[in-house]
Amino acid sequence: MVQFISHFTEQYSYLDSIRLALTGGCRWIQLRIKDASDHEVRPIAIEALRMCRQAGATFSIDDRVELVKELGADGVHLGKNDMPIREARQRLGKAFIIGGTANTFEEVKAHHEASANYIGCGPFRFTTTKKNLSPVLGLEGYRHIVNKMKAAGIQLPIVAIGGITANDIPALMQTGVTGIALSGTILHAANPTEEMKRIINITNHE
Amino acid sequence: MDIKINNKATSTTATNLQVLSEEMNLPEKGVAIAINNKMIPRTEWVQTTIEEGADIVIIKAACGG
Repeated sequence: MVQFISHFTEQYSYLDSIRLALTGGCRWIQLRIKDASDHEVRPIAIEALRMCRQAGATFSIDDRVELVKELGADGVHLGKNDMPIREARQRLGKAFIIGGTANTFEEVKAHHEASANYIGCGPFRFTTTKKNLSPVLGLEGYRHIVNKMKAAGIQLPIVAIGGITANDIPALMQTGVTGIALSGTILHAANPTEEMKRIINITNHE
Repeated sequence: MDIKINNKATSTTATNLQVLSEEMNLPEKGVAIAINNKMIPRTEWVQTTIEEGADIVIIKAACGG
């Protein structure tokens, strides 16, 4: 499964990026806008939600628990500096998908215990999309975490993230991760829609 | 038939995704399902048949299943 995380470039706005991903066949979108208030993000989120509903895509928002609740998005993704998962679960109740960012097995385990529904696990490699990056995992890092999860009986979907390109996907899926999250590699492609199609096609055959 | 749900071997009589979602009492929203890595929009659950050995991932809010 492929999750697209919104971003912007000189050429594309946040909403453009989501439109391109949906047109390319992606059905899981995360709206991530840092350094802005909920007030500024709200109109963008409303439109993104509408686009996702129309496409039948799952729609999550990064960090903004109250906005997720207010707009009735499908879920929220919580990074390391965002609201703790336990607190978000108390505010949202059971009807929302909560994802948490993890860099180690210990964090995966903690998120699992705090009721996360999936893990965004990374970074796979260095990426410029995100500031304050944790140490890179590489293929070995994912194998290690997936094996430890199996041993601990934790059955939480793991989405690999961080600088992933089409060529990385076959080897990454072999590590046992459930899916991948992408942003930059789509928007920096010559044809983002075609690149998304290609990546979904690769993922579906692994 | 035997399928896998979130890496766990499971048996089901559901022939399509809609029936499976009802069998599992999945909520109306806050659910994402992929079969063999492909995300299936809710609008396509009825026409999405489940085949023997299908590898299904369900991301949903309520834990368990």
